[in-house]
Amino acid sequence: MRAIRGVLKALGRGLLDQLRIIGASPLGTVGALIVLMFALVAIFAPVIAPHDPWDMLRGADGRIAMNRPPSDEFLLGTTKMARDVFSQLVWATQTTMIIGLVSGAISILIGANIGLIAGYYGGRIDEILMRFTDIVYGMPFLPFIIVLIALFGRSFWFVILAIVLIIWRSSARVIRAQTLALRHRQFVLAAKARGCSDLRIIYRHIMPNIMPLLLLYTAFNIAWSVIAEAGASFLGFGDPNALTWGGMLYDLWISGRLRTAWWWFAPPAICIVLLVCALVFVSRAYEEVANPRLRQR
Amino acid sequence: MKAYIVQRSLLSLLTIFAVATILFILFRLLPGDPTAQVISPALDEVAQARLKEAYGLDQPMIVQYVLYLKNLVTLEWGRSFTTSEPVFDVLAYRFWNTLLLMGIGLSFSLVLGVFLGMIMAWWRNGPLDIGATIAAMVSQSAPPFITGLLLLIVLSYRLGMFPTGGMMPPGTNISGVWDVVTSAQFYHHLVLPTITVAAYYLATPMLVMRDSMLEVLGSDYIEFAQAKGLPPHKVMIRHAARNALMAVVTVSSLLLGFAIGGQVVVETVFSWPGMGLLMVEAAARHDYPVAQATFLALAVLIILLNWAADISYGWLDPRIKVGGGSHG
Repeated sequence: MRAIRGVLKALGRGLLDQLRIIGASPLGTVGALIVLMFALVAIFAPVIAPHDPWDMLRGADGRIAMNRPPSDEFLLGTTKMARDVFSQLVWATQTTMIIGLVSGAISILIGANIGLIAGYYGGRIDEILMRFTDIVYGMPFLPFIIVLIALFGRSFWFVILAIVLIIWRSSARVIRAQTLALRHRQFVLAAKARGCSDLRIIYRHIMPNIMPLLLLYTAFNIAWSVIAEAGASFLGFGDPNALTWGGMLYDLWISGRLRTAWWWFAPPAICIVLLVCALVFVSRAYEEVANPRLRQR
Repeated sequence: MKAYIVQRSLLSLLTIFAVATILFILFRLLPGDPTAQVISPALDEVAQARLKEAYGLDQPMIVQYVLYLKNLVTLEWGRSFTTSEPVFDVLAYRFWNTLLLMGIGLSFSLVLGVFLGMIMAWWRNGPLDIGATIAAMVSQSAPPFITGLLLLIVLSYRLGMFPTGGMMPPGTNISGVWDVVTSAQFYHHLVLPTITVAAYYLATPMLVMRDSMLEVLGSDYIEFAQAKGLPPHKVMIRHAARNALMAVVTVSSLLLGFAIGGQVVVETVFSWPGMGLLMVEAAARHDYPVAQATFLALAVLIILLNWAADISYGWLDPRIKVGGGSHG
């Protein structure tokens, strides 16, 4: 119990430091603000969205509002199925953010632990874990999602599972390398001499020191999850009952309206690029800390 | 160096074997009748029973597994559920189309990325450096299907400059790879998909080259080379760039992992008749033999490219010997 509280306390202290790191970089600040904006939209989606995203809407003239360009009535126009693009966009923000955050969080948890354990213990454990990571590197990412979804069905959770199963690999490699470099440092040896348990050394002594790297890869993993989910959904392997930005583009693609309906294409496309960009900006702020040589520019 | 190559080759083989095994398990984990993934449910019962025996599906799992591996090695990949063609024949044709697009896109972005990265570092904080850094971050954040769709809308639909998809005009008679690469039409069809993949790949080698050039430029031997009175371009290319290149090779394996995913969506957007599009179509139609074989082929492609990156790393960095080889 005390160990858990200790870890939590260290994490909390760490988080505050992280905010300071992001704030120190202008680009990082912009990125963090954009992410925050999307988070707010996701949380308040029911309040913001003017229509039910699945409803077939009628215009003021009483006719079914199909393929309408943006107007006062429909802020971002309507789809071929007479659905409101703006409302779809708002709800899709929620789903996309959830998928991104959940897969990002789980994958960093797996990646960090594998990296820390492999790097700290070294030897045979390291060898086994890293060969395993190599094998996962042999898996083509998007095709793996496609196969998994084709086999087990188009479900929200399988999309997350497929993303998580692959995406931890790069964080594991990088965190292992960093842990390896810290393993023989004075403070680790001192903790060992004091009789600290391995777990305590890993999570209380080594982990705080690789925090910037850990958060850098958390941001990366979320960004990759968003890209992967968008790609899978665009190819028609997303959850048909969950609205995502990639899913909106898939609907547009199969509707054959790509030629004309720019108002249907631009909003989800811009949102994907903007969110991923923001995450890359945040990660760039960490990169300058994790790799101090970059700062001397 | 020889031992290093042998070690890397063995590891690659092991990885291929492991991926094939994971695939076997995945396809047999399916709810319902496991034979439905190998034998088309559309066939009549007698034919199904005959195939069941031929594939050993009435045998215990371990026998099936051995048979599966044997069939993989002997290229007996079954027949497509939808067209009844042998899977191998379908793949063989698609393989070259994918390799062409990917090879051209990757080499284009690697060469251009390394060159731009070098120049950015040499005139650091200049307009090119700052502009290209921001452009790279944005283009890296745009999933390739968005770039592709945008190009399609603007350059094909609006301006009519390029065909909207395919590799050749519809109805063209193609009798081999040579026919394709010598046709002007092919290059016309190639432009948009290549720009799309290059926009996605370019950022990584460019930024890595820039950062590692900056690092190299701060080191003693560069100062020494300058002090010797060598002309700047010689210092830049012969001394700095060669050493900075190593970092690019290191990250290229990371790049390759994403290259395949990019390939799949780009082929779908531009109806490019490659393995990526085949995989998407097969998976959507539940054509399992084709989906399985395509997945494996894509995996082998990645593993081989990773292997090539490892080997060229060893060649660029003579310090690498087996045992001391990097696991990173």
